[in-house]
Amino acid sequence: MSTTPWQGPPHEGISVRAVARSFGSVHAVRDVSFDALPGQITGLVGPNGAGKTTLLLMLASLLAPDAGEIRVAGVDPVTDPAAARARIGWMPDALGAWEALTAHETLVVTGRLYGATRAEADRRAAELLVEVGLADLSASPARVLSRGQKQLLGLARALVHRPRVLLLDEPASGLDPAARIALREMLRRLAGEGAAILISSHVLSELEEMTDAAVFMSRGATVTASGPRARDWRIRLVGDPVGARELVARALAGSEVRADRRSLLVAFPDETAAASALTAMVAAGLAVAEFAPASGALEQAFLDLKGAER
Amino acid sequence: MNLSRIGVLTGLELRQRARRAGFYVLLGVFFVVVLGITWLGSLIFAGENVSSGMVSVAICGVLLMASLVTPTFTGNAINGDRDAATLAPVQVTLATTADILLAKLLAGWATGLVYLLVALPALLYALVSGDEAPRAGTLVVAVLVLAAEIGVISAIGVGLSAVIARPLFSVAATYLVVMLLVIGTLISFGLGMLAARSSVSVLTEDPSQVYVETGMASTLPSCDGADEPCLSPRPDLSETCMEVRGAELVPRADRVWWLLAANPFVVLADATPTVYDGNGWPVDVFGNLKLAVREVQRAPELVRDDWTDPCDGKPAGEVQTTGEEYPLPREIIGSSVPSWFVGLGAQALLAAGLMLWGASRTRTPARRTPPGSRIA
Repeated sequence: MSTTPWQGPPHEGISVRAVARSFGSVHAVRDVSFDALPGQITGLVGPNGAGKTTLLLMLASLLAPDAGEIRVAGVDPVTDPAAARARIGWMPDALGAWEALTAHETLVVTGRLYGATRAEADRRAAELLVEVGLADLSASPARVLSRGQKQLLGLARALVHRPRVLLLDEPASGLDPAARIALREMLRRLAGEGAAILISSHVLSELEEMTDAAVFMSRGATVTASGPRARDWRIRLVGDPVGARELVARALAGSEVRADRRSLLVAFPDETAAASALTAMVAAGLAVAEFAPASGALEQAFLDLKGAER
Repeated sequence: MNLSRIGVLTGLELRQRARRAGFYVLLGVFFVVVLGITWLGSLIFAGENVSSGMVSVAICGVLLMASLVTPTFTGNAINGDRDAATLAPVQVTLATTADILLAKLLAGWATGLVYLLVALPALLYALVSGDEAPRAGTLVVAVLVLAAEIGVISAIGVGLSAVIARPLFSVAATYLVVMLLVIGTLISFGLGMLAARSSVSVLTEDPSQVYVETGMASTLPSCDGADEPCLSPRPDLSETCMEVRGAELVPRADRVWWLLAANPFVVLADATPTVYDGNGWPVDVFGNLKLAVREVQRAPELVRDDWTDPCDGKPAGEVQTTGEEYPLPREIIGSSVPSWFVGLGAQALLAAGLMLWGASRTRTPARRTPPGSRIA
């Protein structure tokens, strides 16, 4: 596994080639290869236990891989951790906050550990607290912050040294909708400025809205998302008439129509089939109020992954 | 290693500690206990050297309390942070493993020294309540050694907290190591002394007056063909002189005295310059402890004269008291070897070894992770 062919040109984002890491007999990561390009937000998707956090720990220079190669912002975090750390911002999934310190002090301490002077760190801390929306709480000890607020503080901490590569482990969990939207806008802006951002999350609809690319992991290995599969579409008729299911089934002869709460679900093999079904329903005079995929593309891919694991 | 980062991390530790109420409660308890020990000391010592005695008791009290309290400051330094998920966010900054461990050591050390400061009023009380102030040299050396001991205990705690995954176990292990130094040295000295016994010969002109384990010495066989205890004629001393070999066994404290050197209290006492009173006796606890430790360096007499009938060529009863006087404490201490630097050196070596072991366990990117530990 020592010499892995390096495919593609080197870049300032994240490159991972055939990386493996085990803890004793547990093979947390077996074979992971992917690229996360600068200027893009890449989603890391996989079920619990797929090895996402272990992979992020390796990218963050905390764990050494047993095999394979990693380049983060062009640097190998195993051989030159100091250079890698200066370029990486890492937001862990565990909310580790210095409970007795205020939000502002937390960011100043972090900035100074990255080599900033007191004045620089002070200025950057104030700036970041405004950016993540914690300016009002800058003098509050971390102890009194809510889970979501700690999450935002963790994000600010990861951004203190203006990293070129951002590793975020479940950043959106615990955030209220407004904070999520703010997070999305912020990450978009950072990506626009050229940062490579890797996000692992279970909130797939969330991930789908903000990522440019996705990496799928299953049982410690990257897997290519399976090709288009049959996907459920949600159909609802105006006024939810009694016997809607029979009406739709008659219009879509040959398709299985299932009831799901107030709407109906029909599986179509692809979008073309869905479009012609819609035409058929309209032609049959049905008042279609809702006709949309029942799950996001990422969610579908995730479910396919789970299915493949069984 | 980077001084400013170590400073930032040390400041971070101290700030967190200073903002916890428990810290001040412990300080208060510490103050009361040291005051109590000092007061008890004032009851022990009397006469013109009361204040020297009290101060030495107070400083020993501070060392006792510091050895009980310091492990709680550093015994969970690294693994506690790992459990609170605050270690990894520091490890991903430019702070190195050495920075982190040294900052933890400095913070623990500084906290221990704060406790020393709280004990100062008790020391001052001891100073002003006595008639004659103790020598400044004694006080300065004692406080410096005390500070060094607190540093050693801090380092042991930091090292173990990085080696052992669970905070509870590493705090307990730190206490065990400190107890090993405080009590373990005493136990091993005692056992070692008994294990390394030597047989003593008694020179007598009348073996029937010498008692050995098996009865009267006159019934013992000749040493030509038997094991000890046995009899061997010594015509070189006097006509009828017999040597009773193996008359008794004496413990050889002089062979194992160095075991005591690593005891923190012995280091403190041994390093402190001793002040003697007019009769040549030490005036304080340090001096008396030093005397006890130095006395055991002296080898016991392995060949001694019988009391009733020594080999002097004269009949029993005409015993001359030789007038040999027991040496004064001042002379005993003067003729023995100081050991505090060896003890302190051994402690420092132990502490440094544990710190290095801990550092190798905390290094990132981690190749091997301690079983049961998490990274972040």
